[in-house]
Amino acid sequence: MADTQFKLQRYGELALVTIDNGEDYTKPTVFGRAAFESAQRVIAELEEGDFKAALITGKPFIFGAGADIDEFPKISTRDAAIEGSRAGHDLFGRIRALPYPTVAAINGVCLGGGLELALHCTARTISTAVRHFGFPEVFLGLIPGWGGTQLAPRLVGPETAIKVIVSNPLRQNRMLSGQEAFELGFADRLLEPAEFVDESIAYALELARNGHDRGQSPDMSAMDELIRRARSQVDDAVHGATPAPYRALDLIQGTATWSVEEGYRAEEEALGDLLPGPQTQASIYAFDLVERRAKRGVGIPKVEPRKVRKVGIAGAGLMATQLATLFLRRMEVPIVLRDLDQAIVDKALQEIRGELTGLAARGRMSEQKARFLGSIVSGATTWDGFADADFVLEAIVEVMDVKQKVFAELRQAAPKAILATNTSSLSVAEMGADVGLHFFNPVAMLPLVELIATPDTSDEVLATTYDVAKKLGKRAVVVKDAPAFVVNRVLTRMSTVTLDALEHGNTVEEVDEAILGLGLPMAPSFLLQMVGPRVANHVLETLHEAYPDRFPLSATLANYAAGKDEIVRSGDARRSAEEIRQDALEAIADEVHHLLAEGVVADAKDVDTCLLLGAGWPFFLGGVTKHLDQTGMSERLFGRPLADAAVTAPA
Amino acid sequence: MGRERQEVFYVDGVRTAFGKAGPSGLFWRTRADDMGVKAVREVLRRNPQLPPDRIDDVVMAATAQVGDQGLTLGRDVALLAGLPDTVPGFAVDRMCAGALTAVTAGAGEIAMGAADVVLAGGVEHMGHHPMGADVDFNPRFVSERLVDTSAITMGATAENLHDRFPELTKEDADRYALRSQQKATAAWQNGVMKETVVPMAVFTDDGWQVAERDQFLRPETTLEGLAPLPTPFRLGGRVTAGNSAGLTDGATAAILCSQNAAEEFGLEPKMRLVGYAYAGVEPELMGLGPVPATRRVLEQAGLTLDQVDAFELNEPFAVQVLTWCHELGVAPDDERLNPYGGAIACGHPLAATGVRLMAQLAYRFRQEPARRFGLTALCIGMGMGAALLWERTSHPWSAGAPAGQSPAPPATAQEPEDG
Repeated sequence: MADTQFKLQRYGELALVTIDNGEDYTKPTVFGRAAFESAQRVIAELEEGDFKAALITGKPFIFGAGADIDEFPKISTRDAAIEGSRAGHDLFGRIRALPYPTVAAINGVCLGGGLELALHCTARTISTAVRHFGFPEVFLGLIPGWGGTQLAPRLVGPETAIKVIVSNPLRQNRMLSGQEAFELGFADRLLEPAEFVDESIAYALELARNGHDRGQSPDMSAMDELIRRARSQVDDAVHGATPAPYRALDLIQGTATWSVEEGYRAEEEALGDLLPGPQTQASIYAFDLVERRAKRGVGIPKVEPRKVRKVGIAGAGLMATQLATLFLRRMEVPIVLRDLDQAIVDKALQEIRGELTGLAARGRMSEQKARFLGSIVSGATTWDGFADADFVLEAIVEVMDVKQKVFAELRQAAPKAILATNTSSLSVAEMGADVGLHFFNPVAMLPLVELIATPDTSDEVLATTYDVAKKLGKRAVVVKDAPAFVVNRVLTRMSTVTLDALEHGNTVEEVDEAILGLGLPMAPSFLLQMVGPRVANHVLETLHEAYPDRFPLSATLANYAAGKDEIVRSGDARRSAEEIRQDALEAIADEVHHLLAEGVVADAKDVDTCLLLGAGWPFFLGGVTKHLDQTGMSERLFGRPLADAAVTAPA
Repeated sequence: MGRERQEVFYVDGVRTAFGKAGPSGLFWRTRADDMGVKAVREVLRRNPQLPPDRIDDVVMAATAQVGDQGLTLGRDVALLAGLPDTVPGFAVDRMCAGALTAVTAGAGEIAMGAADVVLAGGVEHMGHHPMGADVDFNPRFVSERLVDTSAITMGATAENLHDRFPELTKEDADRYALRSQQKATAAWQNGVMKETVVPMAVFTDDGWQVAERDQFLRPETTLEGLAPLPTPFRLGGRVTAGNSAGLTDGATAAILCSQNAAEEFGLEPKMRLVGYAYAGVEPELMGLGPVPATRRVLEQAGLTLDQVDAFELNEPFAVQVLTWCHELGVAPDDERLNPYGGAIACGHPLAATGVRLMAQLAYRFRQEPARRFGLTALCIGMGMGAALLWERTSHPWSAGAPAGQSPAPPATAQEPEDG
């Protein structure tokens, strides 16, 4: 990628600074070493020039996307991290110290370091077209370390600063729009995009004439209470497993008493601790996996995908209904459902149309579109509508011979369709499907699908199924046709440890707390309810059949599956939370090792991608193998990091 | 019951600065439609009393109606400028007379009583759309000798004018070009450019800049400097880069209205459209077009050229203006002609130019209220000419203008009906 440059133009008495990397909007402008060097040159000109005001803006659609994340993995020492932070403070501090008004004209993406640069200006204009405004640092295990934690509370008050620096990043890295940022007080003017730079220039010239009225400083008196409340929310989210959100809160709290300079030094210390640390490095690894690698289609043959103009869904139960809704919304093609009982079919159609109406009522879809999409979904108890389907997804009961019967019928009923199954654990080849497409519950929320290739899956089928997944807004990871694939296999293996602990005297609360201490998003007891004990037990049985030693059946889970809330004690060996955690991690490590050795996936990165996107495991564990490698567990158990397994595992 | 035929008034018009076409031009990385949007928003900003939802049509001209000038430009620009969905728009093309045609098309709507307020203008980004780039010339033009092959190269048609009028020499053309540069240089010192040119922030390889000056203005021009310039259209020819308009990027927009609309919204019309005419000539003598067009519009109005007090002629080529002067008996240094210079000194973004002529004429009328009738005229590729005749309006709500010259000035601003 081309280096980011700061470019200075003069317009009368106004300095016009553009942040540009010479690429189009698909390559956002980031601040790396070269950007800093060019910024230093421009700021020196700003300091020496006879300007009355300066305007800083970005190339079209991008203001600044923050620090260059590709440089982070190279920052391996505390000193290097401190130096990186201080360089930003020195540079941006000089902008803040300019003797005339400076205006950041936030024309587009404004993240992290880009926002910090804007906060060092006297005032800000923001475009109504801005969609990405925020501090993603905490999401990546970092803190805003170029003044963000110090200047944001001073500008918008501690409550908003906590929301934007800490809470939003922990809510799937939520971003603000230009309108929201303006309403929260980040900008002085909200301007239309059509003449955004022109009107920002006019505003800068107005400040040059009249100066800038900062208004009242925000009220810091409730700081301690706000921080206390925020800390407890952070505990609920990450259970102390990653330090970044806590450090960010400390830094925000500091603004009540520190000078900006003191705050800068505190940020430098924090970044020195965090950036070379395991959670941050794992987060950057995870970010690269889900934002770049998973979108590249690793392992997908370069074959033209078939056109999918009609989709059949075998089944009309809960999962089938969710899937049909997703296909309808995203692909906007005719959908036909089939189940044995017309009442079930009718209920599914009613729910799908109800969902569409609900989307229209919430303004997420136009009423016309909802009506139209509702009209192209149909269902019956026969296969009649399947004859011209191009793609059929089976989502019926997880019983092999029932599935085999359905696929045998589909071969006749849908002769030109790719036949896919949404099985969560059974063999795709054995049931007679062409390919597996395993979604995660809730379908609308979790971005992963496991794309299961059998030895008979053709390149065209694989490419088409990948294309379908992409159109559904999902990220597909190719896995081999092995029992329970990746996510369920790893989660089930972990559950053998938690069930074992329950059966040896630990309480549900103790087990939950132990696992939450890893920073996982859901307690095991809650996850079990989400998945459903019957499904969970079915997956366990499948895995037990394949790997009886590693997946012992659980009488407790069988009870749950039968609707009996009764733990079956098999001994008394109560363990500490730490012991449960270690046992769980070792079991996970062992299972990942087996997955790689069997070649279910080609690379530990695939396992991590699955866990990040399909189970919502946190960035700061890097899925899981990064954490296992960082802590030395992989080395201890297998003599080498799991990351190396890709090279040595049999294909 | 039909509506009554009504008079058409020019309220206001603006243009962007004109840039050089190509990578060295200020607008090279700016979209043509965005330039149109800038002109439209500025002319509306200057007339805030006009409610956007009362604009009845948006007519935008472009010669190349593809790419960033495609998608029926008037509608495209209206939406991009933030006008309500209810405001329609369309695109017109008559090459160099695009904006003039946009104005006369809008005027036709108003005159018919079909509209009360029309935005009209044009855009040409000759950097993105070199003239004729996507044109598939019908081979019949050549095989049947319908036109001389020189007709499709505008510079070659200018050389043809020198051939036809041997008394118009290269020295005459250079002298005319020098005067154009000198007059334009002076115009940038007084108010006309400040009032009619809107600065626009443009993204360039060197960062954002403000396009506020025409890139073709050369105050340092001398006859000695012009003399040795190469003649790219013909060896030993007479047409040079110095005595013709360069390839240009630019956009314009104007507000036209009926008397009713002017009264209802308190708009301040500067000119009344007296009449207009288009005429055809031999395509290879394209530059002659304004001659018959001028004669025809004078005939319509029952006026002689002596009664016209101001001429705003485009200057694609110095020789083109000289032939008009020659045929109509006007001295090239007549004070009525192009007092602020012309396209030689500011550029000629084909379909955008017409509104520039009107804006400058309206400015002159305000500065020099003794002048009453004015002409805006252009030659047009493929052998045509356009001429629009205007009369200065004066009205009670326009500060400082003497009343009583317009045939139908509104006496007082009326209260809107039904409150």
